[in-house]
Amino acid sequence: MKSTRRSFLKGVSAGIVCLTLGQLGFDLGDAHAYAGKLKIEGAKEVISVCPFCSVCCQIIAYVRDGRLVATEGDPDFPVNEGALCAKGAALFTMYTSRHRLEKPLYRAPFSNHWVEKDWEWTLNEIARRVKDARDQDMILKNAKGQTVNRLESIFAMGTSHASNEECAVIHQAMRGLGVVHMDHQARV
Amino acid sequence: MPKTFLIDTTRCTACRGCQLACKEWHDLPANETKQRGSHQNPPDLNPNNLKIVRFHEYLDTKGDVVWNFFPDQCRHCLIPVCKDVADMAVPGAMIRDPKTGAVLTTEKTAELAPEDARAVIDACPYNIPRLDPKTKRLTKCDMCIDRVSVGMQPICVKTCPTGTMVFGEREEVLPVALKRLEKIKTRFPKAFLADMRDVSVIYLLADDKEHYYEYAAFL
Repeated sequence: MKSTRRSFLKGVSAGIVCLTLGQLGFDLGDAHAYAGKLKIEGAKEVISVCPFCSVCCQIIAYVRDGRLVATEGDPDFPVNEGALCAKGAALFTMYTSRHRLEKPLYRAPFSNHWVEKDWEWTLNEIARRVKDARDQDMILKNAKGQTVNRLESIFAMGTSHASNEECAVIHQAMRGLGVVHMDHQARV
Repeated sequence: MPKTFLIDTTRCTACRGCQLACKEWHDLPANETKQRGSHQNPPDLNPNNLKIVRFHEYLDTKGDVVWNFFPDQCRHCLIPVCKDVADMAVPGAMIRDPKTGAVLTTEKTAELAPEDARAVIDACPYNIPRLDPKTKRLTKCDMCIDRVSVGMQPICVKTCPTGTMVFGEREEVLPVALKRLEKIKTRFPKAFLADMRDVSVIYLLADDKEHYYEYAAFL
């Protein structure tokens, strides 16, 4: 006879259903030992916001000795009441992942590989290129001769990882440059 | 009084927050995955995934696609057959915590001979335990016993954004389950509570169990 999961189970259950080993006096008290130490024990609770989408679920970041040890939803926050979706639930991995970028990477035009650069080089390069693009393409007047002060060769892509206040500053900076093409990705 | 989960699959949107939260709390690493034509990913429970949302779709008699979600996990049976089978080979390999009803695999499961470990896995009516090839231990959901013993909710329940999962004292959860079943039957006449009297993790299924997962329910 071929033994399937079910037939096996039925056979086993018949033999032991009235006599589990626990009832024979084995120590069942060691579940507490198994539970061990809570990994967030003694950790400081720091309130933060999930960076992924516009719902802005609040999270508790558990920090011990300056290191993040766990994250979970904040039950006291009325928007998410402790709940998180798969992205929010995986915030801790975003912090520990080996894929996380820690230094700027630069890929030169027509190059097929990334090169690590320091922040000073990167920020100077961005400033240089923004300035060059603006100097070259700034449109001061339209065809009718009206003043428009418009820059159409730069596009600003917002991010849900930026807070409301950061978005305001980014927006003002772009308007200041004359950028008119702005969009936002809310859920990537 | 042991603890009990109610998992109302009619509210599940398969966001997989529970699956990820479980992974994060237990510090489990990512799996190598690939596109297999289903949102179910990884394809099965494994030592890195103690909880997994299963997807099942079929055409009903009207020709409409029915898409069912099933957040699969250990049922923490009231009389756990896996524990009894394990105890026959290595006493204490698995334990049932009388306070919470959590069925736990201990480090002693590494002492189980391969055929005994196989027998434990096969004994489970819900196809839950998995053998970790690295540690040689059996792995499965531990009801977040570390959290539950200090009065916190299991991380999957805490994370669920749709209220699919309820966790609490058995005597309090059972009436909630029955009330919810009564309500949902008006929409899904076939709805039932899977193996309610035998398990600590009660699934409210809206459809035949075959339309969720082969081992979604035992009886």
